[in-house]
Amino acid sequence: MAPKKDVKAPAKKAEPAAAAAPAPAAAPAPAPAPAPAKTPAVDLSAVKIEFSGDQIDDYREAFGLFDRVGDNKVAYNQIADIMRALGQNPTNKEVKTILGNPSADEMANKRIEFEAFLPMLQTIINSPNKAGFEDYVEGLRVFDKEGNGTVMGAELRIVLSTLGEKMNEAEIDALMAGQEDENGCINYEAFVKHIMSV
Amino acid sequence: MGCGVTKSDQFHKQSGKAVTTIKAAVLIQRWYRQYVARTEMRRRYTWHIFQSIEYSGEQAQIKLYNFLGYLMDNFTPSSNERNLISHIFRENEVCRDAEWERYFSYENIEVPDIYSGPHLTFPLTVEQAFGLVEAFRNKKQLHSRYVLQLLLETWKLLRMLPNISRISTCHSKEITICGDLHGQLEDLLLIFYKNGMPSLENPYVFNGDFVDRGRDSIEILLILFSFLILYPGDVHLNRGNHEDHIVNLRYGFTKEVLTKYKLHGKRILKLLQKIFSWLPLATVIDQKVLVLHGGISDTTDLSILTRLDRHTYISALRPPKKRHMSSATASIDSDMDDDIWSANRMSQRRASLTYPKPIGTKECFHNRSLQDFSERIRANIEALEMCKRQVHAHAQAQDQAQAQAQTNSPISSSDVDSVSLSCESIRSYTAKDEWRQILDLLWSDPMTQDGCIPNEVRGGGCYWGPDITEDFLLRHNLQLIIRSHECKQDGYEFCHNRKVLTLFSASNYYDVGSNRGAYVKMGPDLVPLVFQYQASNMTRELTVRQSVGRTERSALKVLREQLFAHKSDLMSAFKKFDSDNTGFVPLNDWASAVESVMHLDLPWRMLRCQLVTCKTTSDGMIDYYEWFSELAIKGHKDTDHIDQSLLETLYRHRSTLETIFRMVDTDNSGFITIEDFRQTWKLLSVYLKMEITDEAISDIAVTIDSNQDGSIDIDEFMEAFRLTDKKSRLERGRSMFMVTATDLTKLEGDPNI
Repeated sequence: MAPKKDVKAPAKKAEPAAAAAPAPAAAPAPAPAPAPAKTPAVDLSAVKIEFSGDQIDDYREAFGLFDRVGDNKVAYNQIADIMRALGQNPTNKEVKTILGNPSADEMANKRIEFEAFLPMLQTIINSPNKAGFEDYVEGLRVFDKEGNGTVMGAELRIVLSTLGEKMNEAEIDALMAGQEDENGCINYEAFVKHIMSV
Repeated sequence: MGCGVTKSDQFHKQSGKAVTTIKAAVLIQRWYRQYVARTEMRRRYTWHIFQSIEYSGEQAQIKLYNFLGYLMDNFTPSSNERNLISHIFRENEVCRDAEWERYFSYENIEVPDIYSGPHLTFPLTVEQAFGLVEAFRNKKQLHSRYVLQLLLETWKLLRMLPNISRISTCHSKEITICGDLHGQLEDLLLIFYKNGMPSLENPYVFNGDFVDRGRDSIEILLILFSFLILYPGDVHLNRGNHEDHIVNLRYGFTKEVLTKYKLHGKRILKLLQKIFSWLPLATVIDQKVLVLHGGISDTTDLSILTRLDRHTYISALRPPKKRHMSSATASIDSDMDDDIWSANRMSQRRASLTYPKPIGTKECFHNRSLQDFSERIRANIEALEMCKRQVHAHAQAQDQAQAQAQTNSPISSSDVDSVSLSCESIRSYTAKDEWRQILDLLWSDPMTQDGCIPNEVRGGGCYWGPDITEDFLLRHNLQLIIRSHECKQDGYEFCHNRKVLTLFSASNYYDVGSNRGAYVKMGPDLVPLVFQYQASNMTRELTVRQSVGRTERSALKVLREQLFAHKSDLMSAFKKFDSDNTGFVPLNDWASAVESVMHLDLPWRMLRCQLVTCKTTSDGMIDYYEWFSELAIKGHKDTDHIDQSLLETLYRHRSTLETIFRMVDTDNSGFITIEDFRQTWKLLSVYLKMEITDEAISDIAVTIDSNQDGSIDIDEFMEAFRLTDKKSRLERGRSMFMVTATDLTKLEGDPNI
């Protein structure tokens, strides 16, 4: 009997696909080895900054807002959030790759100044992995068992908490607040409109 | 079971689908995290806005106070002006205890039969204390007779307490420590609900700032004092920077008491002045944990704090004065050359206001002397500037230690002139040193960098770094400092390697949903266990996004008002960048100009899209004239003829203006005479160093005194210029201004809200 869902196998296939996106210079190892391939560090010095002066000032201001210590730097583990605050949508993995795959200790303690952050931001912006309304709807359609425009809230919860870059219960609750109808179903087009309207 | 091919097909189909599933999951997760990050960003700058404005308000109050102190010390104005200014220095009326007792006597106060609030008998019992809490929960008010009685008992008790309370924990007795409450009764009730009322088995430490800003400051005080009286060994109160009548004038407590107790409010406030000065300064738990309101500085010394006479510091903002104000005594730095100072001080002393001109009518005498007053102030401020320059030059020539002494002045170094002149030392060095100990204790904030610098943002105390904490803890053999004084989003925050804990117990402080409150429980292991909460039903129903949105809108509204109030300054700043007078400035310049005027250290670029709704040109230029018309606050129809810049000034300084009004209104009637109004205005114009003609003042006075009876209703005045934000008043009910029932009905019908 074929296994219902072999989570391991697709995971290996998905990772290289995701990792390939943000690195314009380096080529990730595509071989489906048992352990996820270690993607080589991104060469940031090769990245050309294409932001205008005004944009750079905007980013600098946002960067400063996240500096809680006062040394004009931010910690590695804040980089992903800063990028998101600036309107980008990287996965945690993409950010880690750009940072050179730091250890957990480095993530918490190493700090980086604004000039070093800029090429990272440029890299993410350059990555072709942009998702629009249709992509999200397509993504959710996957869970639409009956093809009627709704997904089961419960199923979505399980998926979000066990797959990909897992979310915890509190995060999921916040996301789904007020979205499920009395049958526990979510109209996903409306859902996507909701999440994109922020 | 199928054959290999089918299996493989199915497998591929399944795994193909699985890939899409995971992609979908990752997509949603990524989106969600972006949403969280952006919300967090909005929350952060909203916080920034509220906090900047709050602290700059504190700074303004201190500046005003110093200014008035400077006037008191350096001029011998005619008796009328002196009366005007001396109201705020009521603490200088030193009376004997017997006189106090007579003044605060409650025996003559009758409680009418219709009174439905709680009745107190002394000695107080636990049931009565519980009854009091219950009554306040049901919005009852305690009769002034009982208030005075309770306060007197409290005063008697507090006088016996040491400056620093020393308490111990034991296994059956954990101590609960609470931070700022700021008149928010709901939070105190929530704490009691979650943690139980104070008792012999349930000791509490309340770490200051019980009053101001919230609506129920007096109720909170009465509850805390009741439990203090019942359990003096198990309830401990520390003084906060808001337990100070100077600060109360601006931040609402004075107004609250005078509103709730129209007949005896003044007496109650006077008694509270004494009680505040008798509140202990700090608490030490098990000789290891120090609990105090603000913080420490590099010179904080517990042995000095233990020894000093705390009750002589009625306000932490002013050192104790001797009965008679003697001639020029040592300046703040007695090490500094007396020559530089004394010559100038002598000439200032001589500059009295007894004007040699013939005295005309009473009115013109007033006007003339205050005019002269203001001219002399201006002249002396220039002399002072010169002095300051000389002093600084001198300081540079001196050796390190003396230069050090000058920069470590108690109030921010930029106010060296006002501080050094308002500080009259009695025992020279020691008195100033003691005063500084208290000021630092109540006003300081921690910072992340090492060192100790004056707290220029608040205007009092200092910023102290982790190295200072280390040193202090080592010297005094302590392991933890618990303090309050700063609002924190989660109600608490550790810093300095977890050696300093900030605790804030007023939830929703800036606005509904802005922050949680917290309290701490501690047993003999001295490990603080934090409990968080958030008062108000409304917050539970709001999602994070909604509550951030609400607070953000509130903050932006406040910010817009501030911007409007600084319109002229902003206009000049823009003009500097726009030398060709095109009416446009680039975005970058807009941000710099705004920061240079507002000094709030906010992320203006980020806020721009919220603050500037008129379109920017394709190359990012902002039409600032259009922007101002966007910001404009409508004046009352009767005030159209009044100069716009005057209106702006009124708006910007409305808090200061109201504070001065309340100072002038000695009988707390809510009315001041036209004459007092004119004098107040002149005082303000001197303070602000701006020219206001007599005509302009008369114009305003006539406009306001609609019934022409020679007196002005303070609230009506503030109202006339739309200086109050009606909508938020109705919504929040928590405001700086009085609202009577008729006002509310009037407002509700107002289509302009």
